[in-house]
Amino acid sequence: MKIAVVGKGGAGKTTASAVLARTLARRGEPVVALDCDTNPNLGLSLGVGDTETERLATLREQIGDGAGEHAPTWEDILDRYGTDGPDGVRLSVITRIENPEPG
Amino acid sequence: MSGSGRVRVAFVGKGGAGKSTIAGTFARLLGRAGRSVLAIDSDPLPGLPYSLGVAVDDRPIPDDAVTEGPPGGPRWVLAPHLDPEALIRRHGRVCPDGVRYLQFGNLRGHVAALQKAQHAWSQTVSELDRHRWDVVGDLPGGTRQPMFGWAKYAEVVCVVVEPTAKSLHTARRLLTLSKSRWAPQTVAVVASKVRGPDDAELIGSRLGAEVLAAVPHSDPVLAGDRRGAAPLDADPEGDFAKAVGVLVERVLSLYPAAAKERS
Repeated sequence: MKIAVVGKGGAGKTTASAVLARTLARRGEPVVALDCDTNPNLGLSLGVGDTETERLATLREQIGDGAGEHAPTWEDILDRYGTDGPDGVRLSVITRIENPEPG
Repeated sequence: MSGSGRVRVAFVGKGGAGKSTIAGTFARLLGRAGRSVLAIDSDPLPGLPYSLGVAVDDRPIPDDAVTEGPPGGPRWVLAPHLDPEALIRRHGRVCPDGVRYLQFGNLRGHVAALQKAQHAWSQTVSELDRHRWDVVGDLPGGTRQPMFGWAKYAEVVCVVVEPTAKSLHTARRLLTLSKSRWAPQTVAVVASKVRGPDDAELIGSRLGAEVLAAVPHSDPVLAGDRRGAAPLDADPEGDFAKAVGVLVERVLSLYPAAAKERS
């Protein structure tokens, strides 16, 4: 099953997503948590910590800057741009590349 | 451009941190002091009307207000019959305390429209009479796009941060970005939704930065929100309004140094 969580900034999307992901994982489901926010914070709510959350965000930005490579398949995305979180949730930061700003 | 006596301020920070609530109140307090104030936002679903105290209104800035520019220049420009003053006169909403409000976000929608909104915004703020208008911008949540895109016009960028892990994390990213050479503005930390002096201290120490002003969580403001009253109307003399008043004074005190640094 695929679940998307949307809403206004600060409404609680990230917190609800993290609890949902870990609850499903605790029931024995294999869970992938995708952070699609341009300002990815899901790692904080899942409990992977500040440093790892920032590492994933930086990896994503390198792709945006043209310094990193796009992953060719979704398995590569989870592998390269992901990390293992508590309860076995696999977290991956997967934001789309932004349009360049006007000059 | 220093010495104009006018301010250009942008509010950035994590979604829900309180950017719109503080920005709208900030704009109205400047207006109340007799200044000409333009409030702008870039969100298609803006929060700014709520704090300015005007009804949410989806009447867009018409599509033909922005046209394709001549080759060699920006892709989109204001239509020939419009300059920034005319844009404000025709499409700016008149808010309490005389604030004028332009909602660029409703030029957004798909990719081309986002560019239109960005170009119209850039042209408007860069061509606007600096000796007449204060500009207060309520920017999108997030980090890179607001900091390097929408905030370019501003001399002072206020990073709004509440005492939560995620808000602090976003603020830390914004402060890191603000040190890059593309972000020469004066950047100030504004503590939001604080429930005591400890919260403002926590924010300052976690960010390793001075807190310019601490704006409290406010039950009267929250109650006002539920009945559709802007913070300044819900609790005109309350702690929230007072704290934003302090913020206004402190931002004004950053000038003209901020304007000099920017030019």
